[in-house]
Amino acid sequence: MSRRLGPVLRYARLEVRRTLRDAGYVITSVAMPLTMYLLFTNLGASESAADRADYARYAMVGMAAYGALGAALGIGTGVADDKGRGWLRQLRVTPLTPAQVVAGRALTASVTVLPALVTVLGAGAAVNGVRLAAWQWAAVAGLLWLGTFPFTLLGLGNGYGLSAQATGVASMASMMGLSVIGGLWIPVALFPRWLAAVSRWTPTRRFGDLGWSVLDHRGPSLGTVAVLGGWLLLFGGYAVVAYRRGARTA
Amino acid sequence: MVNTSPAVRLTAVHKRFGAVRAVAGVDLEIGRGETLALLGRNGAGKSTTIGLLLGLDQPDGGGVELFGGPPARAVRAGRVGAMLQDGHPIPRVTVAELVAFVAAAYPCPMPAAEALELAGIGALGGRRVDRLSGGQAQRLRFALAVAGNPWLIVLDEPTAALDVEARRAFWRAMRGYAARGNTVLFSTHYLEEADENADRIVVMDRGRIVADGSGERIKQAVGGTLVSFDLAGGGTEGLRALPGVTAVEVRGDRALLRSGDSDATVLALAAAGRVRRLEVAPARLEDAFLSLTDPMADAPDDPAGGPDGERTGDRAAGPPGAVRAKGTARGRAGRGRKEPVR
Repeated sequence: MSRRLGPVLRYARLEVRRTLRDAGYVITSVAMPLTMYLLFTNLGASESAADRADYARYAMVGMAAYGALGAALGIGTGVADDKGRGWLRQLRVTPLTPAQVVAGRALTASVTVLPALVTVLGAGAAVNGVRLAAWQWAAVAGLLWLGTFPFTLLGLGNGYGLSAQATGVASMASMMGLSVIGGLWIPVALFPRWLAAVSRWTPTRRFGDLGWSVLDHRGPSLGTVAVLGGWLLLFGGYAVVAYRRGARTA
Repeated sequence: MVNTSPAVRLTAVHKRFGAVRAVAGVDLEIGRGETLALLGRNGAGKSTTIGLLLGLDQPDGGGVELFGGPPARAVRAGRVGAMLQDGHPIPRVTVAELVAFVAAAYPCPMPAAEALELAGIGALGGRRVDRLSGGQAQRLRFALAVAGNPWLIVLDEPTAALDVEARRAFWRAMRGYAARGNTVLFSTHYLEEADENADRIVVMDRGRIVADGSGERIKQAVGGTLVSFDLAGGGTEGLRALPGVTAVEVRGDRALLRSGDSDATVLALAAAGRVRRLEVAPARLEDAFLSLTDPMADAPDDPAGGPDGERTGDRAAGPPGAVRAKGTARGRAGRGRKEPVR
């Protein structure tokens, strides 16, 4: 077991280090969501203190999810980049198996989404005075962390299937588009009805719901789990197809 | 279990990319501990052969074995290290981190520091990969190839883009690794490099092996003097048996004889009355190499792709050699089975 797992852990450790040293990662996945969170919640002149507090909680989950989304999709840019420099091919002449390489990358994402989550949640508590029960903090962080997995698969699919440049574009477009339609930036309550209806089917809306449902003292609904599960399968299938096509030529 | 199978065994290997026959029937056996140079121009099929040999690509036909088993098994077992032509190390890690990571993937690696030392970058362990010079990055790639202490290392044009000094240092490192009893296969388009650093040279052209022998023998075949004359309808039989002749080639109506003793060859030709438009010229090494690998080319404008200063002046005319050149034997080219020319 450890002979299989050891290389995965070592690969993930190397990749986590590389990611944390990447200015692009720090800016898009940590600095940007944090800045946007603090700006959105403190510049807007809301009428009542209750509204403000409400928005601070809602946006905290939205922006944490947005940052984590960026980190998860960003894994694809890393993969595409490594593929372009021939590094994935180089890895194929080491004893590492392709499965270990993919697992190492996925594990990397599960670590690099954490700073994004923790920073925004931390700012919510420390700067914006968001108060939650201990279990709620744990549940919000834990559920959002788990909820990044479909996006990690989407990122891996992009990375193996597309060129480095195309991956960058695809990641940026899906990050922005899905964040907006999913209500991570702007509350869905402000959407026109048709957009709200579309939003319900997006993975990002359901991703945010994982956290928002905890704020309301509910758990994620069956619908949320089902829709996210559907996207998980879809992105997983995409990743497998892209990997089979891309890794062979890598 | 004692495994005594050769390090590499290719049997009638074919690979086609679309309409291009990249590898067209290669038989090659490399014994353990041997250092072999795969010599050929760009597009000769060297890199494809290496990709097939490492299991990175699957052959359309024929068999590939490393240490008696499929390449994937040898790679998985950590017996193989490689420096691929387009395998660039990743940025944002230090040299030591990267080498230690690759080493740890192998069952019995050498210490990372030793790999760095062997590659001549012992002082650069803390340097970020993205801040290495071209030559340093090349040596890092060598360190990555040897870090796992594999039995076989495969180096695809390892000195491309290196300056003379860096090249010398590189070959020192390679010989150091070979001297430990390991098997080394490297590709190059510099005959001189192949000659200086390999026990055996295999020349590839158009996906085939066109010559196989020691550096001395290859040089004999491609060095010497070029004696040419018009066939004027006459046959080529008997030409090879003339004194001094090491190889015979026909271009159009002209016979080109490579000779280690041009005086003797010319006298013999004169005796046979075959002197129409007779020419005797020293064979420049790169022309000779080109003719060895590409007898059909009528206007050679790419003399094997090496820098001009590298191989000129070497006109060592040795005794008649025993290299199998194109036309005399195709494919099968096991060590020690070289067919004497006369």
